[in-house]
Amino acid sequence: MSSHASTVDPKKAELWDTHHHTHDVISTRTLGYFLYLLSDGMLFATLFAAYGVLSYQHSYFGGPTPAEFVKPWYTFAQTIALFLSVLAYGFGMNALKHKNKSGLINGMLAAFVLGVVFLVLDIHDMNHLYSMGITLASSGGMSAFIVLTQVHATHIFFGLIWILVMIAQVMTKGFTEETVGRLLTLRMFWHLQAVIWVFVYIFVYLWGYIS
Amino acid sequence: MLVDLPGGWSPLLGRLAWSQIPYANPILAPLFVAVVIGAIIVLGLITYYGKWTYLWKEWLTTVDHKKLGVMYIIIGLVMLFRGFIDGLMIRTQQVWAVGPHSSGVFGSLHGYLTPFHFGQVYSAHGLIMILLAATPLLVGFMNIIVPIQIGARDMAYPYLNALGLWITAAAAALIMISLFVGDFAHNGWFEYAPIFEMQYSPGVGVDYWIWTLQLVALGTTLGGINILATVIKMRAPGMTWGKLPIFVWASLSANVIALTSFPALQVALGLVAADRYLGAHFFTAGMGGNLMLYTNLFWIWGHPEVYFVILPAFGMMSEIFPTFSEKPLFGYITMVLASMAIAGVSWLVWLHHFFTMGAGPYVNTAFSVATMLVGIPTGVKVFNWAFTMYRGRLTFNAAMLWAIGALFLLLIGGMTGMMLAIPAINYMVHNSVFVVAHFHSMLLVIVYAIFGSVLYWFPKVFGFKLDEFWAKTMFWLFSAGTALVFVPMYMLGFMGMTRRLEYVFNTGWQSYLDVMEFGIVVYTLSVLAFFILLYVSVRDHAKNRVGADAWGTSRSLEWMTHSPVPFYNFAVLPHINERDEVAWRRQHGIDNVRPEHYDDIHMPNNTGVAIILGGLTFVLGFALTWRIWWLCIVSLLAIIVLMIIRSFRGDPGYIVTGAELQRMEEEAYRREAQIADSHHSHPVSGGVVGNAMAYQRNDSSKRL
Amino acid sequence: MDIKWRNWLKKGWRAAALAPILLLGGCAHNPYWIFDPKGIMAKTNLFYMIVDVVIMGAIVGLTALLVVWFMWRYQKGKNRGKYDPHWSHSNTIEVFVWGIPIIAVGFLSYFAVKGTFEINPYNPTVITHHMKPNGDPVEVDVIATDWQWLFVYPQYHMAVANELVLPVHTPVFFRLTSSAVTTTFFIPQLVGMIDVMPGMRTKNALLSDHAGEYQGIASDFAGAGTSWMTFKTKMVDKADFSQWVQKVQQAPGSMTYASFNRFAQPYIDVNHHVVYFSSVEQGLFDHVMTEVMRGKTWPIPPMMTENMVDYMKKQAAEHRD
Ligand code: HEA
Ligand code: HEA
Ligand code: CUA
Ligand SMILES: [Cu+2]
Repeated sequence: MSSHASTVDPKKAELWDTHHHTHDVISTRTLGYFLYLLSDGMLFATLFAAYGVLSYQHSYFGGPTPAEFVKPWYTFAQTIALFLSVLAYGFGMNALKHKNKSGLINGMLAAFVLGVVFLVLDIHDMNHLYSMGITLASSGGMSAFIVLTQVHATHIFFGLIWILVMIAQVMTKGFTEETVGRLLTLRMFWHLQAVIWVFVYIFVYLWGYIS
Repeated sequence: MLVDLPGGWSPLLGRLAWSQIPYANPILAPLFVAVVIGAIIVLGLITYYGKWTYLWKEWLTTVDHKKLGVMYIIIGLVMLFRGFIDGLMIRTQQVWAVGPHSSGVFGSLHGYLTPFHFGQVYSAHGLIMILLAATPLLVGFMNIIVPIQIGARDMAYPYLNALGLWITAAAAALIMISLFVGDFAHNGWFEYAPIFEMQYSPGVGVDYWIWTLQLVALGTTLGGINILATVIKMRAPGMTWGKLPIFVWASLSANVIALTSFPALQVALGLVAADRYLGAHFFTAGMGGNLMLYTNLFWIWGHPEVYFVILPAFGMMSEIFPTFSEKPLFGYITMVLASMAIAGVSWLVWLHHFFTMGAGPYVNTAFSVATMLVGIPTGVKVFNWAFTMYRGRLTFNAAMLWAIGALFLLLIGGMTGMMLAIPAINYMVHNSVFVVAHFHSMLLVIVYAIFGSVLYWFPKVFGFKLDEFWAKTMFWLFSAGTALVFVPMYMLGFMGMTRRLEYVFNTGWQSYLDVMEFGIVVYTLSVLAFFILLYVSVRDHAKNRVGADAWGTSRSLEWMTHSPVPFYNFAVLPHINERDEVAWRRQHGIDNVRPEHYDDIHMPNNTGVAIILGGLTFVLGFALTWRIWWLCIVSLLAIIVLMIIRSFRGDPGYIVTGAELQRMEEEAYRREAQIADSHHSHPVSGGVVGNAMAYQRNDSSKRL
Repeated sequence: MDIKWRNWLKKGWRAAALAPILLLGGCAHNPYWIFDPKGIMAKTNLFYMIVDVVIMGAIVGLTALLVVWFMWRYQKGKNRGKYDPHWSHSNTIEVFVWGIPIIAVGFLSYFAVKGTFEINPYNPTVITHHMKPNGDPVEVDVIATDWQWLFVYPQYHMAVANELVLPVHTPVFFRLTSSAVTTTFFIPQLVGMIDVMPGMRTKNALLSDHAGEYQGIASDFAGAGTSWMTFKTKMVDKADFSQWVQKVQQAPGSMTYASFNRFAQPYIDVNHHVVYFSSVEQGLFDHVMTEVMRGKTWPIPPMMTENMVDYMKKQAAEHRD
């Protein structure tokens, strides 16, 4: 075999696109957003790695360790709030399938409120730590603990803003290609944050509590 | 929560104060004046010729991937020039500050740069060259070429593309402003723990470094997503994965690396920022921090990053070799596999940057072997290029010369890389100028590939060729400079000279340093040749106009549409039948077949949002660097609000009607015919005639 | 010790590989430190370098020749070789193209593994496998500061700043740490590099049969004073070494943690100051390490070398010179 032999007959070949291809806007968008989430996942993976390295006993440097202040049930409540929020979002998306605008908005509102509950619980928890004198500067271990959990919380915060924006857009514009595309990408985002939370809950809170 | 700062801080200006402006510095102050005068002249000229509207409408707000690509390349070239000036300063310091008897001026004991300034120069040089020269240049070419090569009208997300450009521009602006306001990091382009901590680097240099890199990372990630999605979603009908041009494959593998590795850098930088701003203890030596964590995180990104920049360069070489060998690329499939393999293995080798840190022999050997594995697919590439030339018909024009130069540099850099990969050798040359010479050999592969590509694709983008004579002159001067600087550097490496020396303690090295200084002078001449090249080419552009297929022997889809490429790339999208579609059509004499019918097409609107967002990210980076908290909040809020507004407005785009398209196409065809005619009457040396003719020459030459 | 060295040399082919370089090294003033090793560690490193260069050089060299030949043969218009516009695939060539690098990497990997164990800084088998059972190695604790070297000789309860004196034919074992930032300990002709990190301990070892003076370098950038952070390494006869030890032990200075605290203030060692300390606090090395782990730092004044001439004057005025 010597070359890449041509298989197409040039006489009959189709040279120009006659079917007038259009690109599917929504699927192009969701693909791009999926790629972004991939990089977001890598970001968390790196943070988890850093946490792993900095969660040995000596990383806490004799100072407070998560075992001393983590309240598993409190964090479990956060978990429930976030999961219900994802569920509510799912109901909303179900309403979207039936072109049910108010159903969608209700679902999104519920998701928003539950997300706020999550965030408020988190802020309360951080305040509590702060009042006990535990900060980023306490030790390497605490730096890793706080940064990992709060980077996740920041994602939730921006997700909440986004939910509000989407509620407003659906109310003003209805279900257009643009808004539906964004609702889908937001769902991906929201789900990923919930999944990451599971890891945070297990490997940071529960693990820290046990060890 | 915030750390205590050495020195002052005010709520209004943060750490910014008059004393931070180096108005008394004998090097920076005149430079600053020159820059201001230059800027005034440029702005004045724009105003004088009334070009502001043109600039705003056609460039600053554009979402056209070709124009964005051109702007990326301009940023890259300007930063390459800046990096070169830094290189010149490094070399001049080292040739001067040799031995205890050397003189010193401007407050330095030896030479003309104090340790503090010298550190800034090489740190900025390294960072700029890799991330703000090479990366934008490559991203620029990917931006221009990838969509055309796959037969798309634009990138998947034109607006995001513009955003990526302006964020990159913001990063470049941030590092440039560090010259005149405050100072830049001085501990090397990758810094290190714990020297970047507040105790050892109390100035704002490291902060500039953090935010510049964060912006680059953000811009590159956005660009990476865009290119990946474009290649996956926007290919013309008939373009299966097996028919993808090789440069597209290279871009694809490179951006897979970018997308997955840059987050590691962003985290590393974020944690450094936590240390420096909030007093966290990620990388401190005490308080439970772990300074080796930084080294690992940085190189987990840093090593894939070097393959992120070399893979597109490989792609460029893989386009240039076939065109000027007049035959298809040898071993397309293995070439693709090799790119993917390099991308994959690049993840498993990061530890080779710190063999000397004292990991056990098992860990070291594992990474050593993994590192050497990269040599296998890279070797495959080299051999495939060689066999592309085999049985070819080689034209050694300037673009080809750059590609061949890149190939030889790759051999040298690869040979020395394989030495560094063995711990027993690495222990002797780590942190020495031998390493510096190794990576310059490699990084210059990229610069060579880029200059080759500038020559190769210039006619596509601007419609005329660059002047061959000056291009060749530049090539030879540049190569002489490379040899004169980096051959002695390898030798100094074997003499035990370590890197980053701002005072050279061994007078025995003087003569080698002299040769290198001469080399940098030759480099300077090559830059002059480049300017002359641009001048001469623009002056004579009418003579050097080209048609669609500028070289007459090109193979991939970008050569099918007009030169310069119309804003819609293809009036009617081509249907792809073969891997080298253009070559195939030429071969079968159907390259002149025009579409019968023009449909309406849909194009995105220009937008000013991207450039405003870019400006805001610059403000945010600046405010963070100087800890001007109110400005951080304002700019961040502005960014969020602007994004929300934009998302409400959306972009309906606009329609170009089929009739209009037809008019523009006919105009373009008429112009092309004229060019072909004029080439008949006064043949330009080496000029290529019409498309069909090129094929006929191919055929008749079979008797050779 | 030299018996062991000869044992090692019995692997004659190694000697053969080294021979040309040793010739080079025989020249009076060979500036190529890496090619002129005077210690067993550096020698071993050089051996692997030669192996690697021979294997890689052969392949890379042949590839370069091949490319040049193709360039000559297939140049357009010269009609030297046959033009085949479609030829772009050959399974035979593919096999070689992948096969040769794979085999070469296989060979190199073997040497990489072997070499790494031989010169593993923590347990270099080229030294330890040939040590006499009752050999009395010299131990040196190295503490790097911003920007000086403190060499503690715990066996002799003494310390020296910025100069390293060692006996020939004797294994030397280093423990290294830093009080400030990370740097690297490197004596090109004697032993390869090892990082020196604050709050951490690394190790290294060397053995040399050649008396002489060798350059020691801080090879990783550690801040403004790094370029001057060099030190002379003197390999001396055993007798001279004992004499030198006695000399140091009579010096006036002493090194406690308190005095170390002063010593570790940022200081640019422009004049390569050598100081002897006749006594050293027991366990100084571990003390420094623990303090650093507790968060002790010796911070650098902002922009200390913005004007280096002034800074040196200040340093002199403070009598730290
Ligand atoms: C892509 C990366 C890249 C490139 C291309 C270069 C190019 C060059 N570098 Fe650089 N260098 C680095 C990346 C790069 N470098 C890095 C990462 C470091 C390590 C920093 C550290 O230690 O932290 C380093 C360090 C480094 C040092 C080491 C200092 C030390 O540690 O002792 C030196 C010393 O000579 C040096 C010199 C040079 C020279 C002479 C060139 C020459 O090749 C330059 C040639 C370029 C030109 C001749 C310019 C041509 C430009 C034009 C024609 C465009 C003009 C156009 C317009 C203005 C529109 N570099
Ligand atoms: C584009 C950039 C680029 C590329 C492509 C490479 C490619 C390689 N690099 Fe390089 N490297 C850098 C940029 C690059 N490097 C930079 C910037 C640094 C230092 C940063 C800093 O410290 O500032 C560095 C540092 C660096 C180190 C650490 C040195 C040290 O600090 O101690 C090592 C060690 O293993 C290394 C190895 C390699 C290897 C094995 C390859 C391989 O990929 C090379 C593969 C190529 C070949 C092998 C040649 C072609 C193959 C054949 C002809 C076939 C025959 C081959 C075989 C038999 C194997 N590099
Ligand atoms: Cu300690 Cu690396
Ligand atoms: Cu690497």
